Amino acid sequence: MSPPDFLARVYDDHAQALFAFLLNFTRHETETKDLLQDLFVKLAKQPSLLEAARDERTFLIRLAHNQAIDAMRRRGAREKKHEQFAAESVAVFATSADPDERVFRQALAEALGELPPEQRAVVHLKLWEGLTFEAIAEACGIPLNTAASRYRYGLDKLRARLRPLYEEIK
Amino acid sequence: MKPDDFEKQLQRQPLRAIPGEWRGEILSAARRAGGHQLLTFNPQRTSWWRELLWPCPQAWAGLAAVWVVILALNGATREPVQVAATQGPPTAREMLMALKERQRLVSQLVGPCVPAEPSRRFVPRPRSELAHPTVAV
Repeated sequence: MSPPDFLARVYDDHAQALFAFLLNFTRHETETKDLLQDLFVKLAKQPSLLEAARDERTFLIRLAHNQAIDAMRRRGAREKKHEQFAAESVAVFATSADPDERVFRQALAEALGELPPEQRAVVHLKLWEGLTFEAIAEACGIPLNTAASRYRYGLDKLRARLRPLYEEIK
Repeated sequence: MKPDDFEKQLQRQPLRAIPGEWRGEILSAARRAGGHQLLTFNPQRTSWWRELLWPCPQAWAGLAAVWVVILALNGATREPVQVAATQGPPTAREMLMALKERQRLVSQLVGPCVPAEPSRRFVPRPRSELAHPTVAV
């Protein structure tokens, strides 16, 4: 397989998941694009990176997560601005024609934005990537118990925040 | 851990799709950045030297430059030796003349040869220094 095909194949297989994860983690579309591009540039320069990966998706999420963390650290003084972005409602979910669904998704996006980034990452990977806690721990570089507890705390916060709306549309 | 109804409700929410125009932009940027490496990529052929040189190519380039300088200096200083080597070994006649010259210098320094005093003849003596007593009967 030629390298351009390799990149296209990786993009087609994983870009959607990486986009959703980075968008939910950073809560910023332009930054998500930059991070995604950086990741593919890295892969273009070192195609052998993926050769040693047991699971491509987990490995790529780990790369994306590390890049996002680095970017957040580099921002330093602009961190507060980042938190403002997180609190804002970013279109993390697809739009819906159903008004109830639309309101619920909007509220869910806002509730996710209120979680600390690391809890948000774990909740995202568990709910929308369907990863096991073991895979989440590997992707985020944290102990398995930490991954499980972050998920539990994050989910409890979402439940408390969305309960009225959830009961309404159930 | 089985997901409860709330978790299932969250999982059902579809995530936003990645903008379609990003594909071309991101892939072309990645290919540009990969550049020559991508065109010549061959994992079997390139991996070993890339692993060797990748950590610090500047250091390797510096080391190579130092070796070039060393070889250049070595070549420059070896030339006279080569000239001397081309003269070949001295002939037997030359060696004989050098030897005679040396003998002449030695004789000048030491002076005329004086015959050495002949060494006294060795006469064996009895092993014991004690005188043998004679017994008169």
